[in-house]
Amino acid sequence: MISPVKIWRRQKEIKKILGKKGKIISWTIIYVTGKDFKKTAPYPVVLVEFNQKEKAIGQLVDYEKEDLKIGRQVISILRKVREPSAEGVIAYGIKFKPL
Amino acid sequence: MGIIVGYYSTKFGELWDKSLFDLVEEAINGVIKQTQIEKKQIDVIFFANMLAGVLENNLHSASKIAEIIGLNIPVFRVEAACASGGVAFHLAENYIANHQNKTALVIGAEKMTDYSPEQVTAALSAAASGEEQEAGLTFPGLYALIAQVYLNKYHYNEENLAYVSFKNHYHGTLNEKAHFQKKLTLEQILKSPYVAYPLKVLDSSPISDGAAALIITNNQQIIKKTKHQVKIIASEVATDTISLKERKFLDRLLATSLAAEKAFKKSKIKKKDIQVAEIHDCFSIAELLAMEDLGFWPKGRAGTKIKELSTMIGKGNNLFVNTSGGLKAAGHPVGATGVKQIGEIYLQLTKQAGKRQVKKAKYGLAHNVGGSGGTAVVTILGG
Repeated sequence: MISPVKIWRRQKEIKKILGKKGKIISWTIIYVTGKDFKKTAPYPVVLVEFNQKEKAIGQLVDYEKEDLKIGRQVISILRKVREPSAEGVIAYGIKFKPL
Repeated sequence: MGIIVGYYSTKFGELWDKSLFDLVEEAINGVIKQTQIEKKQIDVIFFANMLAGVLENNLHSASKIAEIIGLNIPVFRVEAACASGGVAFHLAENYIANHQNKTALVIGAEKMTDYSPEQVTAALSAAASGEEQEAGLTFPGLYALIAQVYLNKYHYNEENLAYVSFKNHYHGTLNEKAHFQKKLTLEQILKSPYVAYPLKVLDSSPISDGAAALIITNNQQIIKKTKHQVKIIASEVATDTISLKERKFLDRLLATSLAAEKAFKKSKIKKKDIQVAEIHDCFSIAELLAMEDLGFWPKGRAGTKIKELSTMIGKGNNLFVNTSGGLKAAGHPVGATGVKQIGEIYLQLTKQAGKRQVKKAKYGLAHNVGGSGGTAVVTILGG
Protein backbone atom coordinates (compact mmCIF):
# COMPACT_ATOMS: atom_id res chain seq x y z
CA MET A 1 0.00 0.00 0.00
CA ILE A 2 1.21 3.49 -0.83
CA SER A 3 1.04 5.96 2.03
CA PRO A 4 1.90 9.68 1.70
CA VAL A 5 4.71 9.24 4.22
CA LYS A 6 6.19 6.41 2.18
CA ILE A 7 6.17 8.59 -0.93
CA TRP A 8 7.82 11.45 1.00
CA ARG A 9 10.54 9.12 2.35
CA ARG A 10 11.24 7.68 -1.10
CA GLN A 11 11.45 11.11 -2.74
CA LYS A 12 14.45 12.05 -0.62
CA GLU A 13 16.36 9.24 -2.34
CA ILE A 14 15.21 9.97 -5.88
CA LYS A 15 17.13 13.24 -6.30
CA LYS A 16 20.41 11.36 -5.89
CA ILE A 17 19.85 9.49 -9.16
CA LEU A 18 18.28 12.25 -11.25
CA GLY A 19 19.91 13.52 -14.45
CA LYS A 20 22.36 10.65 -14.66
CA LYS A 21 23.52 9.25 -17.97
CA GLY A 22 23.98 5.59 -18.72
CA LYS A 23 23.22 2.78 -21.14
CA ILE A 24 20.50 0.15 -21.39
CA ILE A 25 21.79 -3.27 -20.37
CA SER A 26 18.43 -5.02 -20.64
CA TRP A 27 14.85 -4.11 -21.53
CA THR A 28 11.35 -5.54 -21.75
CA ILE A 29 7.85 -4.42 -22.64
CA ILE A 30 5.24 -5.18 -19.99
CA TYR A 31 1.90 -6.24 -21.46
CA VAL A 32 0.24 -7.87 -18.43
CA THR A 33 0.54 -5.46 -15.52
CA GLY A 34 -0.31 -5.20 -11.85
CA LYS A 35 -3.52 -3.37 -11.02
CA ASP A 36 -1.88 0.05 -10.47
CA PHE A 37 -0.31 0.07 -13.92
CA LYS A 38 -3.11 -1.32 -16.07
CA LYS A 39 -4.06 2.03 -17.64
CA THR A 40 -0.63 2.68 -19.15
CA ALA A 41 0.14 -0.79 -20.57
CA PRO A 42 2.01 -1.79 -22.60
CA TYR A 43 5.10 0.10 -21.44
CA PRO A 44 8.85 -0.58 -21.66
CA VAL A 45 11.04 -1.05 -18.59
CA VAL A 46 14.81 -0.74 -18.87
CA LEU A 47 17.70 -1.79 -16.68
CA VAL A 48 20.35 0.91 -16.97
CA GLU A 49 24.01 0.99 -16.02
CA PHE A 50 25.14 4.51 -15.20
CA ASN A 51 28.57 5.67 -16.24
CA GLN A 52 29.67 5.24 -12.62
CA LYS A 53 28.73 1.52 -12.90
CA GLU A 54 25.80 1.59 -10.48
CA LYS A 55 22.50 0.42 -11.94
CA ALA A 56 18.87 1.55 -11.84
CA ILE A 57 15.56 0.32 -13.17
CA GLY A 58 12.67 2.35 -14.59
CA GLN A 59 10.27 2.85 -17.46
CA LEU A 60 11.48 4.32 -20.75
CA VAL A 61 9.47 7.30 -22.05
CA ASP A 62 9.60 9.62 -25.09
CA TYR A 63 11.09 6.79 -27.13
CA GLU A 64 10.95 5.38 -30.63
CA LYS A 65 10.87 1.63 -31.26
CA GLU A 66 14.54 1.59 -32.29
CA ASP A 67 15.57 3.06 -28.93
CA LEU A 68 14.71 -0.28 -27.32
CA LYS A 69 18.06 -1.97 -27.61
CA ILE A 70 20.93 -3.00 -25.40
CA GLY A 71 23.63 -0.31 -25.40
CA ARG A 72 21.29 2.67 -26.08
CA GLN A 73 22.29 5.83 -24.17
CA VAL A 74 19.63 7.18 -21.79
CA ILE A 75 19.25 9.78 -19.03
CA SER A 76 17.24 9.56 -15.80
CA ILE A 77 14.36 12.01 -15.41
CA LEU A 78 11.64 12.76 -12.86
CA ARG A 79 8.15 11.55 -13.78
CA LYS A 80 4.90 10.52 -12.15
CA VAL A 81 5.23 6.78 -11.52
CA ARG A 82 1.77 5.81 -10.26
CA GLU A 83 -1.77 7.03 -10.27
CA PRO A 84 -2.35 9.25 -7.20
CA SER A 85 -3.12 7.34 -4.01
CA ALA A 86 -6.46 7.66 -2.18
CA GLU A 87 -4.94 10.53 -0.17
CA GLY A 88 -4.25 12.37 -3.41
CA VAL A 89 -0.47 12.38 -3.15
CA ILE A 90 1.23 11.99 -6.51
CA ALA A 91 4.13 9.55 -6.49
CA TYR A 92 7.10 10.79 -8.51
CA GLY A 93 10.05 8.62 -9.36
CA ILE A 94 12.69 7.81 -11.92
CA LYS A 95 12.04 7.13 -15.56
CA PHE A 96 14.46 7.24 -18.47
CA LYS A 97 14.47 8.88 -21.87
CA PRO A 98 16.81 8.28 -24.80
CA LEU A 99 19.72 10.69 -25.20
CA MET B 1 18.59 -37.16 8.21
CA GLY B 2 14.87 -37.60 7.76
CA ILE B 3 12.99 -40.09 5.64
CA ILE B 4 10.01 -39.13 3.49
CA VAL B 5 7.28 -41.70 4.08
CA GLY B 6 4.26 -40.18 2.38
CA TYR B 7 3.06 -37.63 -0.16
CA TYR B 8 -0.26 -36.32 -1.36
CA SER B 9 -1.22 -33.57 -3.74
CA THR B 10 -4.60 -32.13 -4.64
CA LYS B 11 -5.40 -31.53 -8.28
CA PHE B 12 -3.75 -28.27 -9.40
CA GLY B 13 -5.85 -25.85 -11.44
CA GLU B 14 -8.79 -23.48 -11.23
CA LEU B 15 -10.56 -25.03 -8.26
CA TRP B 16 -13.44 -22.62 -7.78
CA ASP B 17 -15.35 -24.78 -5.31
CA LYS B 18 -12.40 -24.97 -2.90
CA SER B 19 -11.03 -22.36 -0.48
CA LEU B 20 -7.40 -22.18 0.63
CA PHE B 21 -8.18 -24.16 3.77
CA ASP B 22 -10.37 -26.69 1.92
CA LEU B 23 -7.22 -27.46 -0.08
CA VAL B 24 -5.10 -27.59 3.08
CA GLU B 25 -7.57 -29.98 4.69
CA GLU B 26 -7.69 -32.25 1.65
CA ALA B 27 -3.87 -32.41 1.51
CA ILE B 28 -3.52 -33.12 5.26
CA ASN B 29 -6.14 -35.88 5.22
CA GLY B 30 -4.73 -37.22 1.96
CA VAL B 31 -1.16 -37.55 3.16
CA ILE B 32 -2.20 -39.07 6.51
CA LYS B 33 -4.29 -41.69 4.71
CA GLN B 34 -1.51 -42.38 2.21
CA THR B 35 1.06 -42.86 4.96
CA GLN B 36 -1.32 -44.81 7.21
CA ILE B 37 -0.28 -42.99 10.33
CA GLU B 38 -2.52 -41.38 12.89
CA LYS B 39 -2.88 -37.62 13.21
CA LYS B 40 -1.55 -37.69 16.74
CA GLN B 41 1.74 -39.15 15.53
CA ILE B 42 2.55 -35.79 13.90
CA ASP B 43 4.76 -33.64 16.13
CA VAL B 44 5.15 -30.44 14.12
CA ILE B 45 3.78 -28.77 10.98
CA PHE B 46 5.52 -26.43 8.54
CA PHE B 47 3.07 -24.57 6.29
CA ALA B 48 4.18 -22.81 3.10
CA ASN B 49 2.01 -20.01 1.76
CA MET B 50 2.82 -16.69 0.17
CA LEU B 51 -0.30 -14.73 -0.73
CA ALA B 52 -3.14 -15.29 1.74
CA GLY B 53 -2.08 -12.27 3.79
CA VAL B 54 -1.87 -9.99 0.75
CA LEU B 55 -4.84 -11.24 -1.27
CA GLU B 56 -7.44 -12.26 1.28
CA ASN B 57 -6.38 -10.56 4.53
CA ASN B 58 -5.89 -14.02 5.93
CA LEU B 59 -2.97 -14.57 8.34
CA HIS B 60 -2.30 -16.61 11.47
CA SER B 61 -2.74 -19.75 9.40
CA ALA B 62 -0.95 -21.78 12.10
CA SER B 63 -3.97 -21.56 14.32
CA LYS B 64 -6.37 -22.31 11.46
CA ILE B 65 -4.39 -25.48 10.72
CA ALA B 66 -4.57 -26.46 14.40
CA GLU B 67 -8.34 -26.15 14.08
CA ILE B 68 -8.42 -28.33 10.95
CA ILE B 69 -6.17 -31.08 12.30
CA GLY B 70 -7.48 -30.98 15.86
CA LEU B 71 -4.05 -30.97 17.48
CA ASN B 72 -2.23 -28.44 19.67
CA ILE B 73 1.23 -29.02 18.21
CA PRO B 74 3.56 -26.27 16.93
CA VAL B 75 2.67 -25.01 13.44
CA PHE B 76 5.00 -22.64 11.58
CA ARG B 77 4.06 -20.64 8.51
CA VAL B 78 6.92 -20.12 6.06
CA GLU B 79 7.13 -17.45 3.37
CA ALA B 80 9.87 -17.11 0.77
CA ALA B 81 7.78 -16.14 -2.27
CA CYS B 82 7.74 -19.01 -4.80
CA ALA B 83 10.38 -20.85 -2.74
CA SER B 84 8.09 -21.03 0.32
CA GLY B 85 7.53 -24.77 -0.20
CA GLY B 86 11.21 -25.62 -0.54
CA VAL B 87 12.15 -23.53 2.49
CA ALA B 88 9.33 -25.09 4.59
CA PHE B 89 10.69 -28.51 3.66
CA HIS B 90 14.22 -27.41 4.57
CA LEU B 91 13.07 -26.24 8.02
CA ALA B 92 11.13 -29.46 8.60
CA GLU B 93 14.18 -31.50 7.64
CA ASN B 94 16.33 -29.45 10.03
CA TYR B 95 13.79 -30.01 12.79
CA ILE B 96 13.87 -33.76 12.24
CA ALA B 97 17.67 -33.84 12.02
CA ASN B 98 17.84 -32.18 15.44
CA HIS B 99 15.17 -34.17 17.28
CA GLN B 100 14.85 -37.89 17.90
CA ASN B 101 11.76 -39.92 17.10
CA LYS B 102 9.84 -37.06 15.55
CA THR B 103 7.51 -36.72 12.59
CA ALA B 104 6.89 -33.52 10.63
CA LEU B 105 4.15 -32.64 8.19
CA VAL B 106 5.13 -30.21 5.45
CA ILE B 107 2.27 -28.64 3.58
CA GLY B 108 2.23 -25.99 0.90
CA ALA B 109 -0.92 -24.37 -0.46
CA GLU B 110 -2.05 -21.37 -2.46
CA LYS B 111 -5.42 -20.04 -3.59
CA MET B 112 -4.94 -17.70 -6.53
CA THR B 113 -7.89 -17.93 -8.94
CA ASP B 114 -10.38 -16.02 -6.77
CA TYR B 115 -8.72 -12.83 -8.00
CA SER B 116 -8.14 -11.06 -11.33
CA PRO B 117 -4.76 -11.50 -13.08
CA GLU B 118 -3.97 -7.83 -12.26
CA GLN B 119 -4.61 -8.40 -8.55
CA VAL B 120 -2.51 -11.57 -8.51
CA THR B 121 0.27 -9.94 -10.56
CA ALA B 122 0.36 -7.01 -8.11
CA ALA B 123 0.36 -9.35 -5.10
CA LEU B 124 3.20 -11.45 -6.53
CA SER B 125 5.22 -8.29 -7.13
CA ALA B 126 5.37 -7.90 -3.34
CA ALA B 127 8.33 -10.29 -3.67
CA ALA B 128 10.28 -7.76 -5.78
CA SER B 129 12.21 -4.69 -4.57
CA GLY B 130 10.39 -1.38 -3.99
CA GLU B 131 12.16 0.20 -6.93
CA GLU B 132 11.17 -2.67 -9.24
CA GLN B 133 7.55 -2.36 -8.12
CA GLU B 134 7.64 1.38 -8.73
CA ALA B 135 8.92 0.80 -12.27
CA GLY B 136 5.80 -1.28 -12.97
CA LEU B 137 7.88 -4.45 -13.25
CA THR B 138 6.06 -7.75 -12.87
CA PHE B 139 7.57 -11.20 -12.33
CA PRO B 140 7.38 -12.03 -16.02
CA GLY B 141 9.05 -8.62 -16.51
CA LEU B 142 11.97 -9.46 -14.21
CA TYR B 143 12.55 -12.80 -15.93
CA ALA B 144 12.16 -11.04 -19.30
CA LEU B 145 15.08 -8.76 -18.38
CA ILE B 146 17.15 -11.84 -17.50
CA ALA B 147 16.04 -13.58 -20.71
CA GLN B 148 17.10 -10.60 -22.84
CA VAL B 149 20.60 -10.69 -21.37
CA TYR B 150 20.88 -14.46 -21.82
CA LEU B 151 19.48 -14.61 -25.37
CA ASN B 152 21.62 -11.67 -26.44
CA LYS B 153 24.83 -12.94 -24.87
CA TYR B 154 24.63 -16.49 -26.22
CA HIS B 155 22.85 -15.69 -29.52
CA TYR B 156 19.61 -17.57 -28.94
CA ASN B 157 16.05 -16.56 -29.69
CA GLU B 158 12.49 -17.23 -28.57
CA GLU B 159 12.44 -20.62 -30.27
CA ASN B 160 15.12 -21.90 -27.89
CA LEU B 161 12.85 -20.92 -25.01
CA ALA B 162 9.77 -22.54 -26.56
CA TYR B 163 11.26 -26.05 -26.31
CA VAL B 164 11.00 -25.88 -22.50
CA SER B 165 7.23 -25.39 -22.63
CA PHE B 166 6.90 -27.97 -25.41
CA LYS B 167 8.58 -30.64 -23.26
CA ASN B 168 6.86 -29.74 -20.00
CA HIS B 169 3.41 -29.66 -21.58
CA TYR B 170 4.01 -33.15 -22.95
CA HIS B 171 4.91 -34.30 -19.43
CA GLY B 172 1.74 -32.63 -18.15
CA THR B 173 -0.33 -35.00 -20.29
CA LEU B 174 1.10 -37.88 -18.20
CA ASN B 175 0.13 -36.32 -14.85
CA GLU B 176 -3.54 -36.53 -13.87
CA LYS B 177 -3.03 -33.86 -11.17
CA ALA B 178 -1.58 -31.30 -13.61
CA HIS B 179 -3.33 -28.00 -14.29
CA PHE B 180 -2.82 -28.48 -18.04
CA GLN B 181 -2.89 -31.93 -19.60
CA LYS B 182 -2.59 -30.84 -23.17
CA LYS B 183 0.25 -31.09 -25.68
CA LEU B 184 1.35 -27.90 -27.36
CA THR B 185 3.11 -27.45 -30.68
CA LEU B 186 6.13 -25.18 -30.98
CA GLU B 187 4.07 -23.03 -33.31
CA GLN B 188 1.30 -22.56 -30.72
CA ILE B 189 3.90 -21.53 -28.14
CA LEU B 190 5.65 -19.10 -30.48
CA LYS B 191 2.36 -17.52 -31.59
CA SER B 192 1.01 -16.93 -28.09
CA PRO B 193 0.78 -13.26 -27.01
CA TYR B 194 3.53 -11.53 -25.06
CA VAL B 195 3.25 -11.11 -21.30
CA ALA B 196 6.58 -9.29 -21.00
CA TYR B 197 8.70 -9.26 -24.14
CA PRO B 198 10.35 -11.69 -25.04
CA LEU B 199 8.30 -13.96 -22.74
CA LYS B 200 4.90 -15.08 -23.92
CA VAL B 201 1.84 -16.56 -22.23
CA LEU B 202 3.09 -20.04 -23.13
CA ASP B 203 6.55 -19.36 -21.70
CA SER B 204 4.89 -18.66 -18.35
CA SER B 205 3.57 -20.83 -15.55
CA PRO B 206 -0.14 -20.28 -14.87
CA ILE B 207 -2.02 -18.87 -11.89
CA SER B 208 -3.22 -22.00 -10.08
CA ASP B 209 -4.88 -23.27 -6.93
CA GLY B 210 -3.54 -26.34 -5.16
CA ALA B 211 -1.97 -27.94 -2.12
CA ALA B 212 0.68 -30.61 -1.57
CA ALA B 213 1.86 -32.36 1.60
CA LEU B 214 4.75 -34.59 2.68
CA ILE B 215 5.51 -36.53 5.85
CA ILE B 216 9.13 -36.59 7.06
CA THR B 217 10.14 -38.74 10.01
CA ASN B 218 12.95 -40.36 11.94
CA ASN B 219 10.52 -42.30 14.13
CA GLN B 220 11.64 -45.92 13.72
CA GLN B 221 8.18 -47.34 14.42
CA ILE B 222 6.69 -45.31 11.57
CA ILE B 223 9.62 -46.10 9.29
CA LYS B 224 9.13 -49.85 9.93
CA LYS B 225 5.42 -49.63 9.17
CA THR B 226 5.45 -47.59 5.95
CA LYS B 227 5.90 -49.04 2.50
CA HIS B 228 7.35 -46.26 0.40
CA GLN B 229 10.39 -44.49 1.79
CA VAL B 230 12.96 -42.11 0.39
CA LYS B 231 15.99 -40.70 2.17
CA ILE B 232 16.67 -36.97 2.25
CA ILE B 233 20.37 -36.68 1.53
CA ALA B 234 20.64 -32.91 1.17
CA SER B 235 18.47 -29.84 1.53
CA GLU B 236 20.28 -26.55 1.08
CA VAL B 237 19.16 -22.92 0.85
CA ALA B 238 21.03 -19.91 -0.54
CA THR B 239 19.98 -16.30 -1.03
CA ASP B 240 20.93 -13.33 -3.20
CA THR B 241 19.96 -9.65 -3.47
CA ILE B 242 16.26 -8.99 -4.00
CA SER B 243 17.09 -6.29 -6.58
CA LEU B 244 18.12 -7.45 -10.01
CA LYS B 245 20.27 -4.34 -10.37
CA GLU B 246 22.47 -5.34 -7.42
CA ARG B 247 23.29 -8.79 -8.86
CA LYS B 248 26.76 -9.62 -10.00
CA PHE B 249 25.45 -11.72 -12.90
CA LEU B 250 22.33 -11.30 -15.00
CA ASP B 251 22.68 -14.45 -17.10
CA ARG B 252 22.57 -16.83 -14.13
CA LEU B 253 21.05 -17.17 -10.68
CA LEU B 254 23.87 -17.21 -8.16
CA ALA B 255 21.61 -18.50 -5.35
CA THR B 256 20.92 -21.63 -7.42
CA SER B 257 24.63 -22.37 -8.00
CA LEU B 258 25.45 -21.81 -4.32
CA ALA B 259 22.62 -24.03 -3.05
CA ALA B 260 23.50 -26.73 -5.60
CA GLU B 261 27.18 -26.66 -4.70
CA LYS B 262 26.38 -27.14 -1.01
CA ALA B 263 23.79 -29.84 -1.71
CA PHE B 264 26.05 -31.92 -3.95
CA LYS B 265 28.90 -31.63 -1.46
CA LYS B 266 26.69 -32.80 1.38
CA SER B 267 25.07 -35.65 -0.55
CA LYS B 268 28.44 -36.96 -1.78
CA ILE B 269 26.94 -37.87 -5.14
CA LYS B 270 27.79 -36.55 -8.59
CA LYS B 271 25.62 -34.67 -11.03
CA LYS B 272 25.52 -37.63 -13.35
CA ASP B 273 23.99 -39.77 -10.57
CA ILE B 274 20.76 -37.74 -10.77
CA GLN B 275 18.25 -39.37 -13.11
CA VAL B 276 15.21 -37.24 -12.37
CA ALA B 277 14.89 -33.56 -11.48
CA GLU B 278 12.14 -31.06 -10.83
CA ILE B 279 13.44 -27.65 -11.88
CA HIS B 280 11.84 -24.28 -11.14
CA ASP B 281 10.47 -23.35 -14.59
CA CYS B 282 8.26 -20.40 -13.59
CA PHE B 283 9.23 -19.10 -17.04
CA SER B 284 10.90 -21.02 -19.86
CA ILE B 285 14.13 -19.04 -19.42
CA ALA B 286 14.30 -20.15 -15.78
CA GLU B 287 14.66 -23.83 -16.71
CA LEU B 288 17.50 -23.06 -19.14
CA LEU B 289 19.37 -21.01 -16.54
CA ALA B 290 18.78 -23.63 -13.84
CA MET B 291 20.13 -26.49 -15.99
CA GLU B 292 23.36 -24.50 -16.25
CA ASP B 293 23.42 -23.12 -12.71
CA LEU B 294 22.83 -26.59 -11.22
CA GLY B 295 25.76 -27.85 -13.28
CA PHE B 296 23.89 -30.27 -15.54
CA TRP B 297 24.78 -28.35 -18.72
CA PRO B 298 27.74 -26.05 -19.46
CA LYS B 299 27.22 -22.28 -19.18
CA GLY B 300 25.64 -20.82 -22.30
CA ARG B 301 24.77 -24.21 -23.79
CA ALA B 302 21.22 -24.74 -22.49
CA GLY B 303 19.63 -22.98 -25.48
CA THR B 304 21.16 -25.61 -27.78
CA LYS B 305 20.81 -28.57 -25.43
CA ILE B 306 17.08 -28.06 -24.82
CA LYS B 307 16.41 -28.46 -28.55
CA GLU B 308 17.80 -32.01 -28.39
CA LEU B 309 14.97 -32.83 -25.94
CA SER B 310 17.33 -35.11 -24.04
CA THR B 311 15.46 -34.45 -20.78
CA MET B 312 12.05 -35.46 -22.18
CA ILE B 313 10.31 -38.74 -21.37
CA GLY B 314 10.38 -41.01 -24.43
CA LYS B 315 13.29 -39.11 -26.00
CA GLY B 316 16.07 -38.87 -23.43
CA ASN B 317 17.89 -41.55 -21.52
CA ASN B 318 19.76 -40.44 -18.41
CA LEU B 319 18.26 -37.28 -16.88
CA PHE B 320 14.57 -36.46 -17.06
CA VAL B 321 13.47 -32.96 -16.09
CA ASN B 322 10.08 -31.81 -14.84
CA THR B 323 8.28 -35.10 -15.26
CA SER B 324 5.33 -33.60 -13.33
CA GLY B 325 4.91 -31.07 -16.13
CA GLY B 326 6.93 -28.53 -14.13
CA LEU B 327 5.41 -25.26 -13.01
CA LYS B 328 4.47 -24.62 -16.64
CA ALA B 329 2.02 -27.50 -17.13
CA ALA B 330 1.46 -28.95 -13.63
CA GLY B 331 0.59 -25.44 -12.45
CA HIS B 332 2.12 -23.03 -9.95
CA PRO B 333 0.10 -22.57 -6.77
CA VAL B 334 3.03 -20.68 -5.29
CA GLY B 335 3.23 -22.10 -1.75
CA ALA B 336 2.50 -25.64 -2.94
CA THR B 337 5.09 -25.74 -5.73
CA GLY B 338 8.24 -26.52 -3.73
CA VAL B 339 6.46 -29.30 -1.85
CA LYS B 340 5.02 -30.75 -5.06
CA GLN B 341 8.48 -30.79 -6.67
CA ILE B 342 9.91 -32.88 -3.83
CA GLY B 343 6.75 -35.01 -3.88
CA GLU B 344 7.25 -35.74 -7.58
CA ILE B 345 10.81 -36.93 -6.91
CA TYR B 346 9.46 -39.10 -4.06
CA LEU B 347 6.89 -40.65 -6.44
CA GLN B 348 9.59 -41.30 -9.05
CA LEU B 349 12.04 -42.89 -6.60
CA THR B 350 9.33 -45.10 -5.06
CA LYS B 351 8.02 -46.14 -8.50
CA GLN B 352 4.60 -44.58 -7.95
CA ALA B 353 4.78 -42.09 -10.84
CA GLY B 354 2.43 -44.05 -13.12
CA LYS B 355 2.52 -43.13 -16.80
CA ARG B 356 5.46 -40.80 -16.33
CA GLN B 357 7.60 -43.25 -14.34
CA VAL B 358 11.30 -42.99 -15.12
CA LYS B 359 13.16 -46.31 -15.17
CA LYS B 360 15.84 -47.15 -12.61
CA ALA B 361 15.92 -43.77 -10.90
CA LYS B 362 18.06 -43.94 -7.78
CA TYR B 363 18.65 -40.25 -7.04
CA GLY B 364 16.55 -37.18 -7.72
CA LEU B 365 16.85 -33.43 -7.27
CA ALA B 366 14.33 -30.66 -6.68
CA HIS B 367 15.14 -27.00 -7.33
CA ASN B 368 12.85 -24.26 -6.04
CA VAL B 369 13.35 -20.51 -6.56
CA GLY B 370 11.81 -17.49 -4.83
CA GLY B 371 11.35 -14.17 -6.59
CA SER B 372 13.71 -13.41 -9.44
CA GLY B 373 16.38 -15.55 -7.76
CA GLY B 374 16.57 -14.03 -4.29
CA THR B 375 16.11 -17.46 -2.69
CA ALA B 376 16.98 -20.91 -4.02
CA VAL B 377 16.52 -24.33 -2.46
CA VAL B 378 18.13 -27.52 -3.74
CA THR B 379 16.99 -30.84 -2.32
CA ILE B 380 18.53 -34.21 -3.15
CA LEU B 381 16.74 -37.46 -2.38
CA GLY B 382 17.57 -41.14 -2.79
CA GLY B 383 20.23 -43.72 -2.09
